[in-house]
Amino acid sequence: MKLEQGSISTKDLMIGIICFIQATVLRSGYIVGITRQDSWAMAVTGFLFSLPLVFIYAALLKKHPGKNLIEIDDIIFGPVLGKIISVLYLFFFASLAALNARDLGNFVADYMMPETPITVIILIFMIGCVYTLCKGIENLMHLSAILAILSIGAIVINFILVLRDIQPWFLKPLFQLEPMRYVQGTVSVVTVPMGEILAFTMLMPLLEKDTKIVKPMVLGLLFSAVTIGIVILRDIVTLGPLAEIVSLPSFESVRYVSISGILTRMESVYAVVLVILFLFKVSILLYAFALGLTEILSRNPRHSADSEGQSCKAGYFKSQKSHPPLLFICAALIYFYSLFVFESVMENVNWGATTAPFFALTFEFLLPVVSLLVAFLRGNGRAKEVQS
Amino acid sequence: MKKYLNIKYKKALPLLKYFSGNFHKKAFRSAAFLLCMLNILCLCSCWSQRELDKLAIVLGTGLDVGDLPDTLKLTAQIVKTSEINSGSSSKSSTNGGKAYVNISYTENSVLAAVRGITHMQNRKLYFTHNEVLILSSELAKLDLSEGLDAFTRDYEARMNVNILISKGKAAEILAEDVELEKMPALHIAGMMDNQKSNSETVVVTLRDFVIATLSKATAAVAPMIELQEADGKKHVILKDTAVFKHGMMIGTFGKTETRGLLWVTNKAGSGYITVDTQWGQVVLELLHSTSKLKPVKAKDGTIHMELTIYEDGAIQSNETTEDMSKIKNVEMLKAKMRESINSDIEYSLMQARTLSADVFGFGEAIRRDYPKEWDKMKDNWDTLFPSIELETHINVELRSTGGLIKPIVPGGEQ
Repeated sequence: MKLEQGSISTKDLMIGIICFIQATVLRSGYIVGITRQDSWAMAVTGFLFSLPLVFIYAALLKKHPGKNLIEIDDIIFGPVLGKIISVLYLFFFASLAALNARDLGNFVADYMMPETPITVIILIFMIGCVYTLCKGIENLMHLSAILAILSIGAIVINFILVLRDIQPWFLKPLFQLEPMRYVQGTVSVVTVPMGEILAFTMLMPLLEKDTKIVKPMVLGLLFSAVTIGIVILRDIVTLGPLAEIVSLPSFESVRYVSISGILTRMESVYAVVLVILFLFKVSILLYAFALGLTEILSRNPRHSADSEGQSCKAGYFKSQKSHPPLLFICAALIYFYSLFVFESVMENVNWGATTAPFFALTFEFLLPVVSLLVAFLRGNGRAKEVQS
Repeated sequence: MKKYLNIKYKKALPLLKYFSGNFHKKAFRSAAFLLCMLNILCLCSCWSQRELDKLAIVLGTGLDVGDLPDTLKLTAQIVKTSEINSGSSSKSSTNGGKAYVNISYTENSVLAAVRGITHMQNRKLYFTHNEVLILSSELAKLDLSEGLDAFTRDYEARMNVNILISKGKAAEILAEDVELEKMPALHIAGMMDNQKSNSETVVVTLRDFVIATLSKATAAVAPMIELQEADGKKHVILKDTAVFKHGMMIGTFGKTETRGLLWVTNKAGSGYITVDTQWGQVVLELLHSTSKLKPVKAKDGTIHMELTIYEDGAIQSNETTEDMSKIKNVEMLKAKMRESINSDIEYSLMQARTLSADVFGFGEAIRRDYPKEWDKMKDNWDTLFPSIELETHINVELRSTGGLIKPIVPGGEQ
């Protein structure tokens, strides 16, 4: 399972980002709860405000080509402080993976298999993720094209099918809420689906052209923003004020589809797509976590091997990147983490509405900005010194 | 190396090997195989499995006020699958079997009643295919939130179930003598699908109803159903409309008022209008109608509603001897048609004002188009609503005279 640098094309990265964000889009309820009938506009503002994040990540990666986030921390902050920062990032990745696994578990347990314990659902799900990663992260990224077609196809088909039941005036009145709500909505969109692409910085060394990352990231976000907008728009015009009170607006709006009593129960399509997308998302997060943990714990750090030249880079360490050695342990950690992360859905919703944006912004915005500043202050020469 | 590995496997410690990063092919394959097996286990879902012969498929639900204080009686109409497959209805009637069973249980909440039925039946109620939800007006006058919340919140029940309010007991409606269908619930659900051809009944699904109750202004409406006895058989009949405010039924709309309501809310489809001319009766068929309601702010700051109706019609039957295809007569018929529509709306508006119930969604329309003004009005909307004026513009067209041009009994003016 040797992996050469450049096994993931920029196109795969773009589509991967679309799939990654799609998983959250299908659960758009938390945004509709904040900005009500204007929520579709949050897709636009969310996209605009997530651009700075992309530029920060791109600048960091451009300064250190061929390195992932954890390695960059070591270079910028030195071996000790760098490790501490890296551990913080890892905590973030692990939390996201656990939260998403829990989300999926809750969805399956609530809507489809109410008698099955959530532990079993998450266990099977995590086994699926591990199996996916065993097959190699690059294969998962290649597959993302199919997943994206599936999910976008499902969105388009569902949109056409609900057209019969839409009531466009549910969108009115436009932009009449308190301004604070729009800020809150935008921050939610920026932090929860969009900023989470921070996990992709762990994949960058595998990129074909690891310097050209701004374009695929921005395009991926743009596509995602469009689909977020369409999905929220659909939910609002079909459900109206009901969208604010149901727990999964997309699920309920698709559920209402009934074309002459034959074409009904479309929510099964939604459920299948949701499970597949969550599998993709948690796999990426699990990979980021496992790879980061491996690098923190490895006895001879990567940059010492680097001094021996590029040949080594494509050898042992690269093979680790396709399938990090600590994968099983990491998956087990995330599994147990997801079991006790929240006691109930209510707790989850409360956390999502109050704490989540600040929690996420710390890792998605604050730490990268500080890293970038320190990198600039220390300059390139100094950075190389630490490296050797 | 290989030998060493094999010994390791024999000692059944393959997991250790997995953590070391380098996979042995054979081990990996066996692990993959095990994973596949595990996934198959979850596919057949033995855990939460629900076999078809263990389900009681509910097609209709009735909610009544229970006999004991503070209780409600849930009646579930369940398909008897063996009877529904037994061919013609005559055969099943000779067996004396109906294609359904009605099970009732009285408890203090919906879930308690649903679970209570497990005391009486070997099958568990399955609500996904529920078609109609009938609430007795007795219950509707007390409190509706309990039943509706449970049905909206539950994952199993769907929101496209039809809502009806029964004048008597809901349980009795579900026990009507059906002739063309095998099940009363399917009969009622099919009837609701047909109501657009008379434009005299509101058709309301759970979703529409909840959207209306969520609004601070709109008064929710639901069709009413009644049991009538003729020739020793009990048949249901759709009649009138129930009007709700704050989750409680406060009054009814009759046939004319209901049609007026449908005109204003753009729900009128086809139907008929009988007009009396100086020579006799002419029946006009309504083919297609659309209406648009929008609030208009006058210069002095007051808001009134403007309703524009476009209506296409045709002459359906002419009981006079007069030639109605003459342009002069067509104009006369159009004027009568406008008059008739207008009077429907006037009746409806009058009744709504009496009840002070905004069934037309005036408040929502104002909120959408004039949110700032609405902020001032919303707190005393109940008192403001009766004073909101409605200005109607009715445009009617008579497209054709049907298959005949002149009446079958000639006479009249040539």
